[in-house]
Amino acid sequence: MEELLEYLARNLVDKPDEVRVERTERDGAVVLRLHVAEDDIGKVIGRQGRIARALRTLVRASGGHQHERALLEIVDAR
Amino acid sequence: MSETEGVAPENDGITEAEGETVGEAKWVALRELERRFPGLDKASVQFTVLSEGERGLLGVGQVPARVIARVSEPPPAAPPASEEPGTSAAKLRELLERVCAALGAPCRIAITEDEEAIHASLSGPDLGLVIGKRGHTIDAVQYLANAVLWRGSDEGRKEVVVDAAGYRERRREALEGLAERAASDAVQAQRPVALEPMTAVERKIVHVHLAERQDVVTSSDGTEPNRRVVVSPAPSE
Repeated sequence: MEELLEYLARNLVDKPDEVRVERTERDGAVVLRLHVAEDDIGKVIGRQGRIARALRTLVRASGGHQHERALLEIVDAR
Repeated sequence: MSETEGVAPENDGITEAEGETVGEAKWVALRELERRFPGLDKASVQFTVLSEGERGLLGVGQVPARVIARVSEPPPAAPPASEEPGTSAAKLRELLERVCAALGAPCRIAITEDEEAIHASLSGPDLGLVIGKRGHTIDAVQYLANAVLWRGSDEGRKEVVVDAAGYRERRREALEGLAERAASDAVQAQRPVALEPMTAVERKIVHVHLAERQDVVTSSDGTEPNRRVVVSPAPSE
């Protein structure tokens, strides 16, 4: 599921080389932390958060396929 | 493969397999069919579950899950990846292949394009996870496909519609039924009736469907993602 998230994020932002997905675990859930360039945060959040919501839905679904609870966290470095 | 007990001849497109779970049994059967038919399209394999199996307790009462797998006639679909590389259709195919892989759902992808829209239609044996509860997952895939294909540019923009296992057509029928009931309720009670929140595409289906009725008018109310159609009795002349 990291691969899919990274692929989608790279295709949404202006600086694909700065996209990074970090996998951590918290309270029994897999947390995918998405890092993008500061100027690109809006691109992965979208109008009214719609891109972020769609990404979350896909991360959850691909976690479900692996019988894991998976969450997406968009890292805001500011 | 020792788990398989092929009653049919080896070169037949049918095999029986067992495993601890149904998923495992399917996997064993699929491996066997792939051995017989290299390059087999997994989407063309159909499974029949003979036994769900029992996990048992401490190894007692354990019953293996059993399935039959059958290769159906490969549908005469367009050859995959027939699109020109670099086109919207090729990009859409790559995105959907990645989504299906991440969701563990083998699928065949057919893409057609007309003046207004690019339609992608997924078919395969197990698309429940791709569609998701009330279509949430396939709607997310469709939204992201639109965002990725038309990133930062409206040039040549067409709507991308992603369908799986005929879901959109079934949903359309359900929405039209809902719309009709809401219209009847609104007329009978002489007051507006609000439908559940829907995506823009689904709201449009309702608006267009009810536009044919003279006794109601429709509007949309609220903000995304809770925007909903409101059906009201037509003002009397």
